[in-house]
Amino acid sequence: MSEERGMGIIVETIARATIPLIGIFGAYVVSHGHLTPGGGFQGGATIAGAGILFLIAFGLGEMKQHYNKNLYSILEGLGGLAFLGMAMLGIGVAFFYNTLWHNGPIFNGRPGTLLSAGYLPVMNIAVGLKVFAGLVSAMVAIASYRRWGK
Amino acid sequence: MIPYLIIIPLLGAFAMPLMGLAGRKAGELWAVIVTLLTFGVSIDVFNTVWKKGILVYTLGAKSPIGKGVDFPVRIVWEVDLLGALLALVVAFVTLVVVVYSIEYMKHDTGLEKYYTLVMLLEVGMLGIAMTGDLFNFYVFFEITGIASYALVAFRNDTWEGIEAGIKYMFAGSLASSLVLLGVVLLYGQYGTLTMAYLSKMITGNPTFTSRVALGLLIGGLLFKSGAVPVHMWLADAHPAAPSSISAMLSGLVIKLGGVYAITRLAFSVFGGGTNLRTLGWVVILFACATLIVGNAMAVVQTDMKRLLAYSSVGQIGYILLGVGIGLAAYGSEVGNVALAGAIYHTVNHALIKALLFLIAGAVIHNLGTRNLNELSGIARRMPITSFAFLVGAMAIIGVPPMNGFASKWLIYESSALFNPLVGVIAIIGTAFSFAAYIRVVFTFLGRPCERVMQAQEPGKAMLLPMLILVAAIVLTGLFPWIISDRVMLPAAKMLENTGNYVSAVLGGA
Repeated sequence: MSEERGMGIIVETIARATIPLIGIFGAYVVSHGHLTPGGGFQGGATIAGAGILFLIAFGLGEMKQHYNKNLYSILEGLGGLAFLGMAMLGIGVAFFYNTLWHNGPIFNGRPGTLLSAGYLPVMNIAVGLKVFAGLVSAMVAIASYRRWGK
Repeated sequence: MIPYLIIIPLLGAFAMPLMGLAGRKAGELWAVIVTLLTFGVSIDVFNTVWKKGILVYTLGAKSPIGKGVDFPVRIVWEVDLLGALLALVVAFVTLVVVVYSIEYMKHDTGLEKYYTLVMLLEVGMLGIAMTGDLFNFYVFFEITGIASYALVAFRNDTWEGIEAGIKYMFAGSLASSLVLLGVVLLYGQYGTLTMAYLSKMITGNPTFTSRVALGLLIGGLLFKSGAVPVHMWLADAHPAAPSSISAMLSGLVIKLGGVYAITRLAFSVFGGGTNLRTLGWVVILFACATLIVGNAMAVVQTDMKRLLAYSSVGQIGYILLGVGIGLAAYGSEVGNVALAGAIYHTVNHALIKALLFLIAGAVIHNLGTRNLNELSGIARRMPITSFAFLVGAMAIIGVPPMNGFASKWLIYESSALFNPLVGVIAIIGTAFSFAAYIRVVFTFLGRPCERVMQAQEPGKAMLLPMLILVAAIVLTGLFPWIISDRVMLPAAKMLENTGNYVSAVLGGA
């Protein structure tokens, strides 16, 4: 099963070094979505890029040991549910009413600081989680599709 | 109650992976509960709209109008009687289809994804029916589209599922990019995406760009409704999909994503600033071609589901004809009746075609063939299913005790009054449709062939949905004129009255 093996030692070593960096940068993009360019989708796609680098550099065999289909599908569902839950918080006024910003206990700090945009950071994290889990699952599913000629 | 129409099925779809872990039965039960609740909410919304008129719901605040400005800045959901009626039908047919799927999809794998996609399809269609915002409409339109591409190709171990899915996806993406381009042009020209405000702007300043945008929008939406030059995806997608999905595609998707959207845009957005007579005639020309080609192609099919798919194309022709006459004869009694007939036929055809596809599914599930030549004499072994088919066939041709009669009558009457030639074309279409269905009925009632002798009735979970639909068809068929006078004509009036639609959001501003 040559497809399941990874690439050479140089690629693997560099991947070991860069995967955490990509992941941290993605997490930064997600968590600062309300302050800097980027947000849930961009950050989530970046983190998924780290996952795909892992898949390519170490190969499908290694990936399969670290990937759990049920876990990722639950994470994706949880991302959606968290988004919906945030949108529901202010249902007393309206769907998607940003009650955390207007009168919520946290997330209503001075504009420009990290905890300042009401439900937006939480929604960004939810979207980031959903995008990351979805993209990684899609790539693993495609990579482990039946092989040529079988 | 309006937001719950979206929240409940969305919650159902997002929570499905969790429910799927608890086992297959839990997932099915969850899907039934969610669709049942959605149906309950849709009844309530319909009731409210029917009593109180147009409902407006703003996302994120109490009022759609921005602070310090006099135009709407937020997404609004605006439900008039037509939208509420279609939401009711969508929720009803989805519920029936989900119950049917419990037994029908018994032998398939990946069912938690199936139910997730079905609920997303429902979200998309309910959103299309509710939304009063052009881009929000596009988003829901794409949710519907992508969920239906995936569902058409759901049985990906069959070659036809993949082929139909690819065809549908490529052509469908092109069509929805036309819609997006239309939305972009309108936004560039008028700087707003709220339908009500856009309608006011277009009425005040009808530009050439708005006409180009209208052309692009209508082009993309005619594709989704399966009008004739672009109906080819439909005849492949409906037979290849699982029958429960064909029932939703044929009964709902082509109407919400296609005809309803055309109607909404033509009347509510472009009603003031466009020459409705020209637009109406364009729609009528497509409708006449659709009527003839769809019904005529249905006659020559030997594949049962393909026959039903072409028949759907033909029936879309009637609905488009009603809408077209409603546009061309805007403001007159004839136009009002034609529009009411189109709305009525949308609802009726959704029920009838859902029933017919569910029956086709039961036959295929049982005998493993869709070829009509191998199905003769099925009535001997599957009497209830065949009886249901007889009801559906009578209803779709328009035999008086069934619901199809009244809606088709409204369309015939108004088209004959509008232009006798169009009336003749409508009658010819029905003659073809009659020929197609009478052939199937005779096949079902004929001498049983060898293959059919092992057949038996499907189980309760498949029979019950069919019988519910039969009951709905017969019961609504018994009071056609009451329904027409109390629901369909007011819905058509409410749709024609663009001023009310606009002022419901802008508050008379």
